[in-house]
Amino acid sequence: MNVNPQSYTVDLDWKKPYPSIDHDNEAFWDGLKEHKLLVWKCQQCGAVYWPKAYCQNHENEPFAANCEWTEASGRGKIFAFNIHHWAFHPGFKEEVPYVYALIELEEGPLISSQLVGDDLPTDIHKIGQTVEIVYEDHPAQGFTLPKFRVVRG
Amino acid sequence: MGKHASSGKYAIVGLGVIAGPQPDRSERMIAAEAARLAIADAGLTRADIGGAIDLRRTGGGGDRANYSDAFTRVLGIKNNFYFTCGRGGALAGLGMAAAMSYLDRGIADYVVLMGAVTDWSQSQETRKKGFRGMAHAEKRGYWGKPLGDSRAVSHHSWMAARHMAVYGTTSEQLGAISVAERQWACMNPEAKMYGRPITIEDHQSSPLVAEPYHLLDMSQVSDGGIAFILTTADRAKDCARPPVYVLGQGFGEVSADLWWEKKNFTHMAVEPAKKQAFSQADITLDDVDCAQLYDCFTAEVLFQLEDYGWCKKGEGGAFVADGNMAPGGSIPVNTGGGLLSCYHLGDLTGLAESVRQLRGEAGERQIEDCDIVLTTGHGGELVSPGMCSIHTCTLLGRHA
Repeated sequence: MNVNPQSYTVDLDWKKPYPSIDHDNEAFWDGLKEHKLLVWKCQQCGAVYWPKAYCQNHENEPFAANCEWTEASGRGKIFAFNIHHWAFHPGFKEEVPYVYALIELEEGPLISSQLVGDDLPTDIHKIGQTVEIVYEDHPAQGFTLPKFRVVRG
Repeated sequence: MGKHASSGKYAIVGLGVIAGPQPDRSERMIAAEAARLAIADAGLTRADIGGAIDLRRTGGGGDRANYSDAFTRVLGIKNNFYFTCGRGGALAGLGMAAAMSYLDRGIADYVVLMGAVTDWSQSQETRKKGFRGMAHAEKRGYWGKPLGDSRAVSHHSWMAARHMAVYGTTSEQLGAISVAERQWACMNPEAKMYGRPITIEDHQSSPLVAEPYHLLDMSQVSDGGIAFILTTADRAKDCARPPVYVLGQGFGEVSADLWWEKKNFTHMAVEPAKKQAFSQADITLDDVDCAQLYDCFTAEVLFQLEDYGWCKKGEGGAFVADGNMAPGGSIPVNTGGGLLSCYHLGDLTGLAESVRQLRGEAGERQIEDCDIVLTTGHGGELVSPGMCSIHTCTLLGRHA
C-alpha cells in the first residue's frame, strides 16, 4: 500500500469490526475525519491524556473540568509492537502479517494502531523508532482510522 | 506481625471438576454438574448450601443471561443469596472473598462457587465463519478492534516484547515456561495435553501468532466447569474431605497505573496483593511449596516469578530456562499443566490444582509434604483503555 500521502481513501465494503464511538470519544472521531489527532489536555497544567480521562494533577476537580480536546502533532515513538500472523477476525485475512504497535505520542500518552508502509513487516523496526500518523478515510462508513508509518532518516 | 484473625478461619471442603470438550452441554448444565460433584465431594446435600456464587469471566455484556439466573433452579438449591462475579481470569479469588463475607455473617453455612465455559465448542462453531480463538466474543467496546487489535493476545504480546527489549529475554526462555508446564501436564491424566510432551524446538517451530508469541506461548480455549464448597473452619472438620484452609488473600489493581502512564508493561499488580496475603498468613515466600500462577500467556508466569521475588526483576528468563519451575525445580509452578497445557477456566484451574496438591491427591505430580500453595488470578488486559487489571493472590494451607 502506498502511504506517501498523509492520507488515503479506502473505499471497500467494510468487513472488519466497527469503531466503538460513544459520548466520551465522539469528538476524537470527528477530529480524525478532519485529519486532526485530538488528545485530552489539561488547560491548567498542560498534562495530556488519551483516552479521555481527568487531570491527575488536581485533587477532586469536577470530572474532566480542566481538560479539553486539542490537536496533537501526530508524531511519536514505538513503545512496543507485535506482528500478527493470524487473522483472528476474518476481516483481517488479507492483511496478515500486519504490525500492531503501541505508540508513545510526542505529547506523552500511549495510543495503539496498525503500522502501514510498503516494506512491512519484513523491514523490521525497533522500539524507539519515530512514527507519524496517516489518516485512512472511510467516507462510506463515516469514519477515519488513524494509522501510523515509520519516519525515515 | 502475626497472623490475621481471618487466617485459617475458612476452608474449601468440596471440589468438582468437569474437564474436556462438552459439545452437548450448556454452560449452566456444566456448572450445575460441577456443583453437584463438589457438594457430594464435601459429603453434603443440596439442602446444606446456603448461597451460590457464579464465577463468570465476562465483566459485562448481555450473554450472562444465558444461564446465570437459571443456575440455582437447574442445580435445585434453595439459597439465601445468588450472584455473579467475575473479572476476566480473577474469578475465584474475588468469589472466595465474597463467599467468606457471607460465611462470616452467618448468612450461609456452606457456599458453592462454580464457573463453567464452552469456549472450545463456541470456537469450533465460529471457526466455520472464519473467526479464530475467541475473536468473536467482544464485538464492541475496544479501541483497537478496527485496527487489528485482537485483545488479549495483542496486548499481552506487547508486554512480552517490552520485557524482551528491556531485559534481553528470549523467545527460547519463554519456551522453557511452555515446556515446563507441558512436563507437568504429562503427569496429569485430566490435562488436555496429557501424553504430548514438547521441546524448546517444538515451541520455536510452532506457528507465530502475534510475534513475539508463538502458538505454544498461548493458553488454550477450553470447555469445562469447576466448583468449590467453602465453609467455616469448625464446620470443615466434619466434612468428608480434608479441609484446605484459606490462609490469606490479597488484591492488586493497576487502575492507578493505566496504560498512558507507561508503568505496567513488564510486571503485574503483585505488590499490594502479595503484601496483604502474606501478612495475613504470616509466612514468607520460602514457606510456599508450589505456585499456581495465572498463565494466559508464557510471559505472565515470568513476570510473576520476578514480581513475587523468586528471582530478580529481569532475571526470569534465565530462572525458567534453568528448570526452576519444572518438575524437580526449586519452585514447582502450575503443577497440573496450567492454562497452557491443562485447561482454561480462569483462576479456577489453579485453585482446583491447589486443592488437589494440599489434599495429597495429585498422583504422579504430587509435591512432597505440600503444606502451602500460592494461587494467583489475573483479570483484564493490562493495557486496554477500556479495562483495569486486577491481580489476586490466594494462599491456601493444609493446616489452619
